[in-house]
Amino acid sequence: MKEVIQRKIFDYLLKNKIYNFVGVPDSTMKHFIDQGLKRNKILIATREDEAIGIAAGMSLFLEVSEEKMLRSNSLVFMQNAGFANSISTITSLVQLYQIPMIFLIGWRGFLEDDAPEHTKIGKIQPKLLNALSLQSMILGEKDWKKSCDSALKLIREGKSCALIIPREFID
Amino acid sequence: MIRKKAIAIAEKHIEFDDRIISANGFISRDLFSISDAKPTFYMIGSMGLASSIGLGVALKNPGRRIFVFDGDGNILMNLGSLTTIGSLKPKNLIHVVFDNSVHESTGSQPTNTNFVSIEKIAKACNYNYTFTIRTENNFEKILRKIKKLKGPIMIVVKIQQSNEESSGRVNYEPVEMKDRFMSHNL
Repeated sequence: MKEVIQRKIFDYLLKNKIYNFVGVPDSTMKHFIDQGLKRNKILIATREDEAIGIAAGMSLFLEVSEEKMLRSNSLVFMQNAGFANSISTITSLVQLYQIPMIFLIGWRGFLEDDAPEHTKIGKIQPKLLNALSLQSMILGEKDWKKSCDSALKLIREGKSCALIIPREFID
Repeated sequence: MIRKKAIAIAEKHIEFDDRIISANGFISRDLFSISDAKPTFYMIGSMGLASSIGLGVALKNPGRRIFVFDGDGNILMNLGSLTTIGSLKPKNLIHVVFDNSVHESTGSQPTNTNFVSIEKIAKACNYNYTFTIRTENNFEKILRKIKKLKGPIMIVVKIQQSNEESSGRVNYEPVEMKDRFMSHNL
């Protein structure tokens, strides 16, 4: 995805009251992360489950916005390999306690000729999301705003969801 | 010192303005059976993440002391967390590790703290103060002393296994417990 779009996505989510951005870097979304670093809004964890734990702790806080109390909503970014690492944390922390968050996932193995370590997880990723009952929206260069709006609506309703950035190039 | 006694001592020194993030397993069960008076996030599941949840809470509540009640098996699963905490250095985070060198709730299989010191790892990870405690008196003394110290602080409390019957489960539903914890932050 183009650099300029990734930067716009970060700013859009920040403007729309996503307060915390925690995760493990993925090259597929490096401009998104860089935008957050520039704004001093990114916390880098060592593993994806750790990132989810930190984000969950942050989301137990209430923010004051226009004289209303809002849950301090979080986004956790990761590559799909890290998403696979996080499944138990999603079921036994995020979903069990109903601490909603947005997962931003880089979809390696989206192209069939991506590196071999990504092939299997890339193939089963939609099924995994489905098995976890996580609604997911793909971020496209044209309709990214619509996907972000759906994610923002879900998190305001207290539901976790996933935004997906497909890896559309081979390096 | 047995775990239940150690947890009772720690709980006594925690004030209502403080917050506790309590690791899954016997730690949360013991704390709950001793006292449920202090605002506590009791974990069930997501083993290893008490210190990460505690870090998140600490970053958002810089005016409060946040206590993490952790176990040796628990923190060994998430050692990376020590580097994240040591990099961000939240002044209000107090990380208490109740270390019996076994995975007690799964049948007392040994953990690596028989050979490796968690305190030394925390020190290497830039925790401001680290302590290892073996006696009740010393634990009381350190809990009084840390009121004047800036974190992150690690207290490793060496505990023995006991033959006492284990404490019952935390009887809140997870969502109810979370809502209760959050309502203290209003």
